[in-house]
Amino acid sequence: MKTGIVIFLMSLTLTTFANDTKYLEVMTKNIEAVYKGQTIEELQQAVNALDRVANAEKTKWEPYYYSAFGNVMMANREQDAIKKDGYLDLALTAVEKAKTINKNESEIIAMEGFIHMIRLAVDPATRGQKYSIMAMHTFSKAMELNPENPRALSLAAQMQFGTARFFNTPPTEACITVTKALEKFETYKSENPLAPVWGKGMTEALKKNCQ
Amino acid sequence: MIKSVIAIILSVIAFSLSAQTKISGLVKDDKGEALPGVNVLIKNSYDGTSSGIDGSFSFLTEEKGKQVIVATFVGYKTFEQEIYLSGKELLFSIQLKEEINQLDAVVISAGSFTAGEEKRRTILKAIDIATTAGATADIAGALNTLPGTQKVGESGRLFVRGGDGNETRTFIDGMAVLDAYGPAAPNTPSRGRFLPFMFKGTSFSTGGYSAEYGQALSSALVLNSKDKAEMNQTDIGLLSVGADVAHTQVWEKASWTGKVQYTDIRPYFGLINQRVDWKTPPVAIEGSTAYRQEVGKGLIKFFGNFNRSSFSLYNHDILDPRLKQQYELTNDYRYGNLSYQAALNSTWDLRSGLSYTLSQNKVKVDDVPLNEIEKGIHAKSVLEHFVSDRVEFRFGGEIIDRSYEASRVDEGTNQTQTLSFRESIAASFAEAEMYASKRLVAKVGGRYEYNTLSLQSAVDPRISLAYKPGKKGQFAFAYGTFRQSPKNQYVRVINQLTSERAAHYILNYQVINDRKTFRIEGYYKRYADLVKFENGNPFLLANTGNGYAKGIELFWRDSQTIKNVDYWISYSYLDTKRDYLNYPSAAAPTFASSHNFSVVYKHFVKAIKSQLGFTYSYSSGRPYYNPNLPIEKFQSERTPSYQDLSANVSYLPRNWLIIYLSCTNLVGRDNVFGYEYSAQPNTSGEYISRGVRQPASRFLFMGVFITLSKNKSVNQLPNL
Repeated sequence: MKTGIVIFLMSLTLTTFANDTKYLEVMTKNIEAVYKGQTIEELQQAVNALDRVANAEKTKWEPYYYSAFGNVMMANREQDAIKKDGYLDLALTAVEKAKTINKNESEIIAMEGFIHMIRLAVDPATRGQKYSIMAMHTFSKAMELNPENPRALSLAAQMQFGTARFFNTPPTEACITVTKALEKFETYKSENPLAPVWGKGMTEALKKNCQ
Repeated sequence: MIKSVIAIILSVIAFSLSAQTKISGLVKDDKGEALPGVNVLIKNSYDGTSSGIDGSFSFLTEEKGKQVIVATFVGYKTFEQEIYLSGKELLFSIQLKEEINQLDAVVISAGSFTAGEEKRRTILKAIDIATTAGATADIAGALNTLPGTQKVGESGRLFVRGGDGNETRTFIDGMAVLDAYGPAAPNTPSRGRFLPFMFKGTSFSTGGYSAEYGQALSSALVLNSKDKAEMNQTDIGLLSVGADVAHTQVWEKASWTGKVQYTDIRPYFGLINQRVDWKTPPVAIEGSTAYRQEVGKGLIKFFGNFNRSSFSLYNHDILDPRLKQQYELTNDYRYGNLSYQAALNSTWDLRSGLSYTLSQNKVKVDDVPLNEIEKGIHAKSVLEHFVSDRVEFRFGGEIIDRSYEASRVDEGTNQTQTLSFRESIAASFAEAEMYASKRLVAKVGGRYEYNTLSLQSAVDPRISLAYKPGKKGQFAFAYGTFRQSPKNQYVRVINQLTSERAAHYILNYQVINDRKTFRIEGYYKRYADLVKFENGNPFLLANTGNGYAKGIELFWRDSQTIKNVDYWISYSYLDTKRDYLNYPSAAAPTFASSHNFSVVYKHFVKAIKSQLGFTYSYSSGRPYYNPNLPIEKFQSERTPSYQDLSANVSYLPRNWLIIYLSCTNLVGRDNVFGYEYSAQPNTSGEYISRGVRQPASRFLFMGVFITLSKNKSVNQLPNL
């Protein structure tokens, strides 16, 4: 009897432990897949897996976050403008769900701005005005929530570069932001093992515009 | 003891191994074609997979007992089915049904042009209205470059498919606007009262529109105002004809915008010669305010506008130009619009609104006063029910109440004469939009109206169909009957006049290919119950007139082929005759030209940070009657054709600064819109004519727009 209880208790802790391990394991694998995915098919598979995790875990924002990231990456690889918008719609839905779980996570808000920025790029002539405001506004919000978030800074710098290029002005402001973003990439540490780590390479490439 | 523990552990492992169930199968669409990339999963578990290129899938799950298998894929309805997992292999064949509300589904298109930022499948974007050369940032001016409209240079209003300017009605957030155009001197064009930057979307219908819109005989211009603003900013505009300042303040759930504008054309007229003999050129002061408040899942919008403008001029006699008459006008205008829209739940939406218009004209002709005042209230509620992704049901009710009074002092008796009326219209409408498939949609509805003035009640049916046989092109058809009370100047004489009526038949084919659009539309419109003068007597009015209009229209837009270039071409052919007012027989009205053609070209030149725009418009000669000819020759004469080449430049040196320059009629063509004839013949028995011309050959406009905000990437571009 005693043994039975011990085993029961052991198996309980083991299951919760196993669940968390399983979550981390599945997430790590699929986060890797959205980071490395080259084709839409590869990305779609990873996004599907992340959506399955999101569907099973009701209190975790990370699956939605990476599902959004994967959809943005698919939008970037897609040529057809209508399909691009379709992927961005899905990304935005995922971000909205992530926000209902954790509304003060700077990474989620930065992702929202990222989606606006890519939507702008689909048709800059007609969407420029509306989405440049929305993207910059959202990046500022992300930076307010966590001034240490290097991705919010890096994405904001990209918008600033775009503006400087459009008006043919020196990208002084953008370069300050890029430098700050690169510093934060070095110093920023999150306790969350699933915290986003992407964006450093992109920021280093941006930095080249400042020399 | 240890033995038993091992036994238990072993049996647990053995059980969990045996509990793995293999699930495999195929995913197909409605047509039986394999769907790759479909997410197949066990609900509330991690287990699942994506279907392969051939639609096949296979995965193992440790879940057991009663579970739900789910298949999701973008553009398709989610598939769910209960299953029982016992370790025995399960084989599935899943068929996913197409979802209709997809970007590539067929849409109701006959008769309508929609402009918005959001949807890609729009023919004209909101920003196009602001950047069309020759439109001078006037909504009607920009829409005049679309097929179905006629250029009527001396009016500035939208004349659609053989319809008079008043047959196009303006709605803001679904609510009617009375007197949507500012006052203008006789034979000079008026501008719309509402600036394009206020709106996030525009839908311009040249016929066959929804049962929701009544009291519009030919056309509905539906403007949707912007939602809550996102950031604080102050805008300053310095114009060659005045100045304006606007400020936007934003809170968490609300935003407020206020704008004050002062227009004074005097300095400009001092520089450029005008054909009009102004005593005091137009001066206007205008203020507007917009407030937005988010309430739960709903949004409350308020928009208010006041305007006071005045001018005075001299009208010269045609026979003896030395004889002149002084004409003075002051117009006071107020418009308020309060609306609420909300999603009641996932399948019901509510839209409600209240609008108020007051327009008062104080005219003095040689110091003899003549006053005119019109007030109107419009209240409306609409419920929308989404029965499924294929069926949408919409119904609502509205009340339009307006009163009108015109008074003048009779010179002989010195007594005030008054003509007035008050009209209330109660209406209700219902409409269902049904998708048979992604390729076929039908919208069927009707509108019931009761008018307290004519004591008339009537039902107007409206039907639209659209069919998309292939991937790009689609056919559409629309039919409907429409009614509108006659102009105030006739109802005030005979209050019992009934509504004028029109029936529209429209056939349309269009291809929207990402950034290229082709469209051809043919229509037939029949007018009935038009107001007519009995025996030519303007006080004996009756609904005995009638008429028709028919035509073919073409539209082509391409913003893809040439880099940084966007252009569109419109052509309209119109054949119309009506027997109304003082017409001796059916004839083409003076505003109707048979051929209208326009080309709009926009080019963004990066090197000079400027957008250059050109618009060329052509209208064939308009009919007029030369009273020196016998009455059989009524409306048989034609004016010379109208041609105009306009240009504009928007220069963006900094992201908070825009310099804007525009000029109409670059080549300075002397366009004649029609002829006025002397009321009496001269000594040799001849009626003398005078051309109705542009007030000046060219209109030059310059503006400097400054935006102050925390965020420097913002400018006033969409305001232009």
